Amino acid sequence: MNAARITAALTLAMLVAACGPTRPAPGIQGDPERGMVALTQYACHSCHAVPSVAGSKVYVGRPLDDMAERRYIAGKLPNTQANLVRWLMDPQAIDPGNAMPNMGVSERDAIDISAYLLSQ
Amino acid sequence: MVLTLLGAGLIGAVIGLIVLRGGFYNIAATAQHYPLIYTVFEEGLQYSVQNHARDIVAPESLGTPEQLLRGAAVYKANCIQCHGGPGVAPLKQGMSMQPVPGPLVDADVNWETRELYWITRNGIKMSGMPAWEYHLSDNDIWAVVAFVSAMPNMTPEDFRRMTSGGDASPAHSVAATQGETP
Repeated sequence: MNAARITAALTLAMLVAACGPTRPAPGIQGDPERGMVALTQYACHSCHAVPSVAGSKVYVGRPLDDMAERRYIAGKLPNTQANLVRWLMDPQAIDPGNAMPNMGVSERDAIDISAYLLSQ
Repeated sequence: MVLTLLGAGLIGAVIGLIVLRGGFYNIAATAQHYPLIYTVFEEGLQYSVQNHARDIVAPESLGTPEQLLRGAAVYKANCIQCHGGPGVAPLKQGMSMQPVPGPLVDADVNWETRELYWITRNGIKMSGMPAWEYHLSDNDIWAVVAFVSAMPNMTPEDFRRMTSGGDASPAHSVAATQGETP
């Protein structure tokens, strides 16, 4: 049945697209699965395109699909997990006047969000 | 052929009813939409707004300095809570909504000016975007649309200054109000 095959393919595509990393990459602390949900609760995906998170096309912040390879954060900090956590918690302290506001991210949530971004 | 289609339709309806009544669909705001569902909803939204806003004509004088200041005051009183702005975070209520309200600094990429007016005036069903027709005057709706349209040219510092209402401009006294009612 053609219709059944299309339905199955669509279902599979939706499932695959909805999955993110469930385990942290080597050397990365935190829980990436929890980080993906935490990220949506601080509206990161409202300004940044985030892999595996459904959202509108946005043209505000940079896409976050290659954070594991990216060398610098905001063109200022070497991209280590510790620095990414600092940035997520207080971007204005690192780069005053940056369009990214402080979102009030707690340390635990910042660790998990960074684990998600660095485990892609 | 007809029987096959009817049968398939019936089976589909039964499956749909089971999913619906079984409560299997997760309605939590923390659970994200499947990308396909999100895309279909968003396309529908785009076409609907385009269609309903097609006869609106934006005033030619849109964006005078006084109007922008007025728009900034209306934005601060009614919009910034959910949408935030350059360098300014939304409140927690706005951050954790589903769908997320989103920034407006790139609104002009997705929408024509008349469409921004239509969305502000009429709101968007099941998205959390309220309608302002009965809460803001038409002048204030156009003023806030003009302000949003000017946002791409503002630095975070410009934005803060315009929405702080603390500068010496003659319009700053309206900054604390929620706008005039219609």
